[in-house]
Parts: sequence; structure tokens; C-alpha cells
Amino acid sequence: MKKTFTINISGTIFHIEEDAYEILQKYLVNLKNHFGSGEEGKEIIADIEARIAEIFSEKSSDERMVVTIEMVNEIVEIMGTPEDFAEEEGEEEPVIDEAKRKRRLYRDPEHRVLGGVCGGLSAYFNMDPVILRIIFVVLIFATSSVALLAYIILWIAVPKAINTTQRLEMRGQEATVKNIEKSIKEEVAEVKESYKKFKESDTFSKGKKNVEGAGDVIYNIFKVLLKVIVVIIGVVLIISGFFGLLGFISTLAIGHSFVDGWPLIWSPDIQVPGFFNHFVEPGTVTFGLISIGILVGIPMLAMLFIGTKLVFRYKTNNAAIGLSMVGVWLIALVSLIVVSAGQIGNYKSQSSITVNKTISCDSCQTLYLKLADDKYDDYAELDLDINNFKIMIIDGDEVMIGEPNLDIVKSGSDNFIVSVKKTARGKTREDAKESAEDIIYISELNDSTLIFDPYFLIEENGKWRNQEVDITIKIPEGKAVFLGEDMIKIIYDIDNVSNTWDADMVGKTWEMTSDGLDLKEIEE
Amino acid sequence: MKIENAKAQMRKGVLEYCILLVLDGKPLYASNIIQALKEAKLIVVEGTLYPLLTRLKNAGLLTYRWEESTQGPPRKYYELTDSGRKFLGNLENSWGELVESVATVKNSRA
Repeated sequence: MKKTFTINISGTIFHIEEDAYEILQKYLVNLKNHFGSGEEGKEIIADIEARIAEIFSEKSSDERMVVTIEMVNEIVEIMGTPEDFAEEEGEEEPVIDEAKRKRRLYRDPEHRVLGGVCGGLSAYFNMDPVILRIIFVVLIFATSSVALLAYIILWIAVPKAINTTQRLEMRGQEATVKNIEKSIKEEVAEVKESYKKFKESDTFSKGKKNVEGAGDVIYNIFKVLLKVIVVIIGVVLIISGFFGLLGFISTLAIGHSFVDGWPLIWSPDIQVPGFFNHFVEPGTVTFGLISIGILVGIPMLAMLFIGTKLVFRYKTNNAAIGLSMVGVWLIALVSLIVVSAGQIGNYKSQSSITVNKTISCDSCQTLYLKLADDKYDDYAELDLDINNFKIMIIDGDEVMIGEPNLDIVKSGSDNFIVSVKKTARGKTREDAKESAEDIIYISELNDSTLIFDPYFLIEENGKWRNQEVDITIKIPEGKAVFLGEDMIKIIYDIDNVSNTWDADMVGKTWEMTSDGLDLKEIEE
Repeated sequence: MKIENAKAQMRKGVLEYCILLVLDGKPLYASNIIQALKEAKLIVVEGTLYPLLTRLKNAGLLTYRWEESTQGPPRKYYELTDSGRKFLGNLENSWGELVESVATVKNSRA
């Protein structure tokens, strides 16, 4: 028992079995694709359908006229498939000129494992899809899944080769070096040809034709140049998009970029997640990172997409893809702005704590200021340096350190006073004060020598809140201060009567006079 | 260079000539033309003929009219136009010349 359909071929009604119908349907679609949808193609199809109806009528002599699968197969054999036509016609096809058909990138639905991207690419490059798939799988592991992302983009962006024309285009002219050379030679020949024409027209007829001829020559030269440039731009876009994405994703996901130092247009040099943890809360970091990921990722995806389009010339719904990309990008932008705006609130208030220490050394005439050894100088890796503020990696842990500022003023009392002022910002004064308390700064007193650390530390898990440490040394009138050579690192704009620069103040002894600090002559 | 291609190219030129030849004198409908060409072993699959007929018709060498059939739908009867007849005359001449040329080459070789 078989289900039958009633169909109308060229005005005659037939009953056709379901399986036979499917084959006939497919065959006619194939023919339509082969002959094209133009006026001529339509007429050819109508003629062929008329002939099919005629043959069916002959075959089904009884009144019922049921078309079976055998009859359809016979029809296909009698009429021939597009491949048969191509064979009989030789290289040139009647409607679509195959020789001139350029290769386009399609996904190959007949050789697919996932989306047919590898199949299509292998058809494009005329190589075994298995090799491409192996390369691809290796790439996925080697690039921490960026290749997979590229696959998905191609899956979405590259159209499937559905009909015969597309399948032929997919295989098209072989894109070998030889063929590319050939097509460039052809272009050059074209240019020469039109130049020749232009010269001929120049000698024979002057006037309007010249302009047209010159236009032709320029147009052709321009065309060749444009094609070469477009391909070069495409390749550059693909490479930079791919590696940019690779670097960016590895930076985001692993917190370590392994494309550092590669000769690329764009390569990240900061470790994003770690970097942000010093500024904002982890939850916000994740949200912000997703936004940044989209914000930076989309332009790179677009580069990859446009690049492959320029090189492989496949057809896509550009507007839909472009608009959705722009839409997502804008959403990411807005959410990042909102998050950032929220963060600014964390710096609204300022608060500070000042600790004054009187140095009880009545006999001391001169206070010696020195800098402790730089503990981080040798083995710490610099991560970030903004405004006297550094993030360093020490034994795998990230540590935030800042540079203190030191000033020297006149003391109101008869004692040396060391005043350390820790300042920080926060959402409220309390928050700011808490952050200020979290600042660790160490200075040591040894007899009459004050030893300062070159850096202050921010307690573990503390956030950057524009912390500052200001040290003020108060010198009583008549007493002196000696600035060690190292002190240049932390002293900041110390007033003195001779207006000496900070850099020239170190290594010398300065006496506090009634007018201010004055260079003390060393008495031999 | 594939032999199939060379053969196909040869046959292609001849095919158009033969279609005009078959239609010379009497209007025929597609099946008749196919019959004649198949007997002459000029075509294998019928689908090849339709694009050729359409192209010749669009070139103004052929024209067709619909004729009622005793069985089935009306049929398209093709016939030569005046320019088609002239074209055929030209082809006949060049065919004669070609046959002669080939024969000359063949003889001189022997």
C-alpha cells in the first residue's frame, strides 16, 4: 500500500506515489536551479514539464495513471540531470557559464560533521576535509577554543550550498596560486587591451571617445588594484582579528596572555581580571568583564567576519548580522557605563588619619633621613603603574603598593615631629576612613636616623581608593636635617630659602632657620 | 584536454545545424525532433534539446505555434523563420566546406 498525491504537470492530472513524488520534486528543483529563474529558464522548464507529462501519459496507458518511482527514475534517465547536460555540452553550460564562475565559500551540507564549515573550506581550497578537520581540532586545543568560536561564526555567517549552482560555485575554479596568477594576468591583459583601444581611438577619432577610453583604462587599472588591496586587507583583518581575539580571550579566561610579544597590530598587555580586582568588587568585575568582552570582542569578530568576507566572497545577510552585532555592542557599552558610574560613587568622600610622633632626642642636633632598601626591586614583576601606584606580583600574589610623599616644614615646638597622614577615598567618610586605616606604612627610628620604606602597602583584598601617604617632618628652628641620597624617591617639593630642586637637596644637611630650610655649610 | 570535451564541442556545433536541418520544410514538435536526433545518435538525454530550442527561438531562427493534440495537452510545433532558413543555408555551406577541408587534410596525410 502506498500513499499517492495528485499533481498537475503541464495541465495534465497525475496520481503519483509519495516516494516517486519526492524524487520528481527534487529533480525539477535541480533543473530549475540549473537553468535559472530568468525568462529563458522558465520557458525551458515549462517545455521539459510538458515533455514529462507526455511521457507519463504514454507510460500509464490505463485510465488510472499512477506514476511510480520506476517511471520517475526512467524520466530522469531520459531527460538527463544537469550533470549530464554539462557533459554533453562540454565545458560551457548553456545558461550559466561555468568557466567564468568564481569560487565562493559555502558550507557543504553533503560533507558535514557539524555545520559543514570544514567541508566547505576543503572544497574551497580543494583539499581533503579530513585533514582540515584534524588541523581544526588541533587548533581548538592550541588556541583555547578561539578556533571553535571562529567555527561558530563561520557556521552562522557562511551560507549553505543548497542548489546545484551553489554547489558548483563551492567547487568553482580552483583557487590555486596558478589560477590566482592567471586571473591577475587576465586582468592585466584587460587593462592593456583597453589601453590599446584608448590609444587607437586617440589616433583615429578625437573627442568624446577619448574620455571614455581613458575612463576605461583607469577603471580597469583601478579594478585590478582594488581586488589586490581588498584581498590584502581581508587577510590582515583575518589575522589581526583572529589573534586579537585569541589574545583577548586568553587574557580574560586565563588571566595570562600568551601572545605577548607577537608582532601583531593589537595585543593585550594587561591581565584584565586581576587588574580589575584591585578596583572593584568581584561580582561587579564579572559583570564588567562580560561587558568589556563584548565591547572589545565584537569589533574583533567583525574584523574576522569582514576579513573572511573580503577574501572568500561569500554571501550573507550583512544587514542582519551587522545590526545585531551593533545592538549587542551598544547594550554592552551602556551597561559598562552604568557599572562605571556606580564605581565612581566609591570615590566620593575622602578621609584621612594622621599620626604624629615626637622624636625624643634632646641632644640630637641633626636628624638623618634614609630610605630602607627596596624590597621589591629585584624580584617583583611590575603589573601596572599609575600615578605613583603600582601593582606587583610577589611570589604569585598581587600586591598593591604606593609611593609616599615627604615634605619638611618648621616645627612649632622644640622637638622633631614625624607626622604620617594616610588618606583614602570611599563611598562614605567611614568607608574612606576604613580604607585609610588599611594602609600599611613602616618607618623606623634608630637613634637620630629615621628610615623610611620606599612604599606603602594596601592590605590584602583592599581596593584602590586613591590612597596616599604624606609624611611631614617638622624640624625645630636651629636644628638640622640630613637627606640621604635615596630620599629623592619620596621627597616632594620641599621649600627652602635657596629654592633648590629636590634632586639637588639630597646628600646634604639642611638647617631650619627662621626663614626656612637653609643649606648648612659643613664645618671641617 | 579531455576527449569528452573535444567531442562535446564538435557535437555542439553540429547539433544546432541538425536541429535546423530536421525542421527544414516541415514544422515539428519537440518529441519529433528528439526522435530524429536520437536516431542519429546526436543526443543522449532529452534535456539537452530544450535549452537549445529556446536559444534558437530567442535568436529569431525558430518560431513555434501551439497545436491541439488528440491525446494530452496542446503541443508546441517549431518551424524555421526566414532568417532561420538563411542561417541554415549558411551552415550547409560551411558544413560542406568543413567536410571538404577534413577530407583534404586526411588525403594529403595519406
